[in-house]
Amino acid sequence: MATALETVREYTGGEYKYGFVTDIEADIAPKGLSEDVIRLISAKKQDPDWLTEMRLAAYKRWQTMTEPTWQKVDYEPIDYQAISYYAAPKIKERPKSLDEIDPEIRRTYEKLGIPIKEQEILAGVAVDYVFDSVSVATTFRKKLHELGIIFCSISEAIQDHPELVRKYLGSVVPAGDNFFAALNAAVFTDGSFVYIPKGVRCPMELSTYFRINEKGTGQFERTLIIADEGSYVSYLEGCTAPQRDENQLHAAVVELIALDDAEIKYSTVQNWYPGDSEGKGGIYNFVTKRGACRGKNSKISWTQVETGSAITWKYPSCILQGDNSVGEFYSVAVTNNRQQADTGTKMIHIGKNTRSRIVAKGISAGTSDSTYRGLVKVLKSAEGARNYTQCDSMLIGDKCGAHTVPYIEVRNRSAKCEHEATTSKISDDQLFYCRQRGISEEDAVALIVNGFCREVMDELPMEFAVEARKLLAISLEHSVG
Amino acid sequence: MSALRNRTAEPVPGFAEALERLRGEAAGSSGRALEQRNAAFERFQALGVPTPRVENWKYTNAASFANRPFALAPRGTVDPDLVIPHFAGGHKARRLILVNGRTVPQFSHLGGLPAGMTVRPLAQVLAETPELVDRTSVNDEPEHSFEALNRALVEDGAWISLEDGVALDEPLQVISILTEAESAFMAHPRHVIRLGRNAKLRLILTTVALGQAESLLNQVETVEIADGADLTIDRTLEQGQGRSAITRSRFVLGSRSRLQQTTASIGGSLIRHEMEARLRGTHSEAILNGLMMPQGTEHVDTLIRMHHEMPDCQSDQFYKTVADDRGRAVFAGKIFVHKDAQRTNSYQKNDSLLLSDDAEIDAKPELEIYADDVKCSHGATCGDLDPASLFYLRSRGMDEALARSMLTFAFTGEVLERIADESVDHIVRRMILSRLPGGERLAELG
Amino acid sequence: MLEIKDLQATIEGQDKQILNGLSLTVRPGEVHAIMGPNGSGKSTLAYVLSGRDGYEVTGGSATLDGEDLLELEPEERAAAGLFLAMQYPVEIPGVSNMYFLRQAMNSIRKARGEEEISAGAFMKLVKERAALLGVGGELLKRDVNRGFSGGEKKRNEILQMAMLQPRICILDETDSGLDIDALRTVADGVNAMRSPDRGFLIITHYQRLLDYIVPDHVHVLAKGRIQTSGDRSLALELEEKGYGGVLGAEFAEVAA
Repeated sequence: MATALETVREYTGGEYKYGFVTDIEADIAPKGLSEDVIRLISAKKQDPDWLTEMRLAAYKRWQTMTEPTWQKVDYEPIDYQAISYYAAPKIKERPKSLDEIDPEIRRTYEKLGIPIKEQEILAGVAVDYVFDSVSVATTFRKKLHELGIIFCSISEAIQDHPELVRKYLGSVVPAGDNFFAALNAAVFTDGSFVYIPKGVRCPMELSTYFRINEKGTGQFERTLIIADEGSYVSYLEGCTAPQRDENQLHAAVVELIALDDAEIKYSTVQNWYPGDSEGKGGIYNFVTKRGACRGKNSKISWTQVETGSAITWKYPSCILQGDNSVGEFYSVAVTNNRQQADTGTKMIHIGKNTRSRIVAKGISAGTSDSTYRGLVKVLKSAEGARNYTQCDSMLIGDKCGAHTVPYIEVRNRSAKCEHEATTSKISDDQLFYCRQRGISEEDAVALIVNGFCREVMDELPMEFAVEARKLLAISLEHSVG
Repeated sequence: MSALRNRTAEPVPGFAEALERLRGEAAGSSGRALEQRNAAFERFQALGVPTPRVENWKYTNAASFANRPFALAPRGTVDPDLVIPHFAGGHKARRLILVNGRTVPQFSHLGGLPAGMTVRPLAQVLAETPELVDRTSVNDEPEHSFEALNRALVEDGAWISLEDGVALDEPLQVISILTEAESAFMAHPRHVIRLGRNAKLRLILTTVALGQAESLLNQVETVEIADGADLTIDRTLEQGQGRSAITRSRFVLGSRSRLQQTTASIGGSLIRHEMEARLRGTHSEAILNGLMMPQGTEHVDTLIRMHHEMPDCQSDQFYKTVADDRGRAVFAGKIFVHKDAQRTNSYQKNDSLLLSDDAEIDAKPELEIYADDVKCSHGATCGDLDPASLFYLRSRGMDEALARSMLTFAFTGEVLERIADESVDHIVRRMILSRLPGGERLAELG
Repeated sequence: MLEIKDLQATIEGQDKQILNGLSLTVRPGEVHAIMGPNGSGKSTLAYVLSGRDGYEVTGGSATLDGEDLLELEPEERAAAGLFLAMQYPVEIPGVSNMYFLRQAMNSIRKARGEEEISAGAFMKLVKERAALLGVGGELLKRDVNRGFSGGEKKRNEILQMAMLQPRICILDETDSGLDIDALRTVADGVNAMRSPDRGFLIITHYQRLLDYIVPDHVHVLAKGRIQTSGDRSLALELEEKGYGGVLGAEFAEVAA
């Protein structure tokens, strides 16, 4: 009878379902990075002067910085001069209605299962479609507009709502925050912008779907979400990329701002191309995500299901400034084959009675490595702060690694922090029990893994939970069993 | 090394001057032994003194407390009456006494050791057979600033060796005294402890500072525990203002061997205790317990690296922390399960009490795991005393200060009960009570 | 129906024979009790029949309705109609009892080429059967066996059995850790399932359970084979005289 491990091996070598390339003529900037390239991007985007200045300042800053090395991942040095920082499908003009979208692009998204339509399947979800460096469509704009909600590409927001963008852009993740954030600030091309006005509860999920298509490019999107007083929004991000032998860089920045009594729920189902079973190709996902709970009683909740990318480096964080504000981080990270994930969160408690909750589930299979890295910091001002952290790792096979690196720093005696972590594997007893009840080994592994992750999956918006569950099963089935 | 360079500080000239003074004078400071000292010193200079930019020193700024002009320790002696209160292990215990890092044979009592057991001043071994001191099995991680410095400047220490099957029934206590002094001084003792197969030893390691002085104790211990051997250590570190201590203990365990250590780090401007345990045989067990209790402006830092290198071993780290006033406590414990170390059971727990708003607790409980059939877990908690318990005691008539002290004392209890030697247990209880407000009223608990 | 012939098995990697030429036939409608001292091979028999890892069959055969059980994967044996109520039911965190049951039922249906049961029909069925066993709705929603009391775990095993409607039910020390009320509920559940086309193999250390589930045949297993067989009275005799008294001093239990 096969053991769990054998099943893992048996199923190793599964295929990435989103690895196709769309044949579309693109407008690509010459490779490499210089002031000229940044001015070119800035001109293409018709940036206002302040933004061009911001980009150039970030670029100067970036040149003085070095790539971080503390994370537990290994990769060949990235040649930043070999990347093209701008690639956009050649369209004369942004289509005025969804019907005018290039059929090739339309077909691409159909193939990915998220057709550009305000149609039934996605009736409850407004989607911003980002193709390489630009946003190609956003659905349900009119309906949202009626409520005063702004949901558009950040390029449009820069043109149409400069005061909002200028006020908040870089206010949570300043350009000098880290190497990749500086790079993003210099070259970002598009991304999504959301503004929820005071007291409005956004009636549908907002979503951005990122697709890298061109080779030799990177994707450097920037997302800015502002929830004004008393508002609520749930936002979801999805992503895929073609299967290529080269590694492609994705260095995004996401900034969330929640004012008094506002709540932002940000969910990610990350499925960038992970590279092949030998570790060739795949996306380098070096992303800075941070939310500021600026107002009292505000709440920011991050949920992520990370199954893709060759390397993941991301720490969606919460700065809990407002009194009684709440930060949450729910994460499932699955690594297989040669994937490496170093992910976690930072919860910075500043305001009084701030609370945070961290639930991180790591699953490692094949020869992959998965690391949870997190910081819980309670400042002196954070009277009555509470944190609860639970990190669980599951190893499938004896060639992978699972690591937990939490930092806990407490400077207020009324604070209470609890941290727990465990490491385990799928037990032979559990497998046998399922199989005795007639469930096949493969299904049993999926069942047990899903159970292991349930606390996190339950946090996903209903529309995507099913999808994420499937994704989880696929990532493991083809590598783990 | 260039990556390290901007994270470490250039050593002050005092260290080089100390090396110069030792040359030809200290044991093992000529010929090949001198070459080794010089090589170690070069390594120290190249590595530099770590700043908080070095990950393992993130919460403790070695450059600020250690990189100062310390002179070699004065050849002092002490009034025996001051040492006697620190005797532990009962009247049959053997004792080796060091003053400022140098053994003092006339204070020591080492009579009647069983055949096959040797306790000698390390200086003798360094003078006669320096090649015996270093053995590759515990010598594979020299990239450590303070260990390199110790190797360069070591003068003496304890040499404890038990041949196969030898057991000492009574405890052996090593008391390390730091004297008062006019000017800042440093000592770099080294203990070499070797237990042969199935050997057994109970060791009490006591470090005490007497009177006022500014001092730096930089101690290295290499401990080999062969197959089937059993070592128990009760360790206390009690120092005063201006005293800094860096202790680096490296343990290597063979098959079916056992190590149990309980440490009480009670005072001192700075206490840093680094432990590295390598489980190199199957079915061995390592238990590291500890209590850290900084108050005033004290800073206590514990760093543990638990390496499971072979299958079927167990380990447990259990540390409690109480930080008061402006004290700061750091716990960085890591469980490292190497590939193939299947069926490892490894646990780690760090519970902290933060008694003041000016105190700080930093914890970094890490797991690094490369084998799948393992059970590993860690837990860390941090908070103030439980208000419900506090209320309960107060409702029974105790004033708040006393209630707090009693609960704090109770919090430390779980560590105290793991101390193997009863007399050490009493000493530690007294040390804790003397630091608690109203502790004298709780004397019965001691 | 269940035909065991000269079955021999060892624990993988060990030489010692645990099953030493065990033969037994269970016909449809029969309830067989297997009793035996600790270490006699009772649980090994249950695990070997259900295909758990870690045992090596070194001789003999076991068939269910003529089909060679030993060649099948555990889930295939389940689909063939073999059910094992375990002594220590396993916890599966994060998976609700209800979901698990449905997954199991549909897996078996699929293996048999039947259609999946609809959500509505399943709910109806599970509620009905759960009520019979005194299993509350709350227990169905909880994670499989997680935080269940001993009695709840065993009742849950019987509920699974009632849902999956197996051909042959093996109950491994189902009475262990049960108080008298729980024992009665479990026994009622089993008795309700007795039918002319279903067989039972009840493995137990004590005859207590057999007061409630009355067997047609009682076998005494010791040293890996059936030493003696009889009817219900054999169980009572064992209770009175002990294994040593019935089988001879060499079989007397070492203080267990």
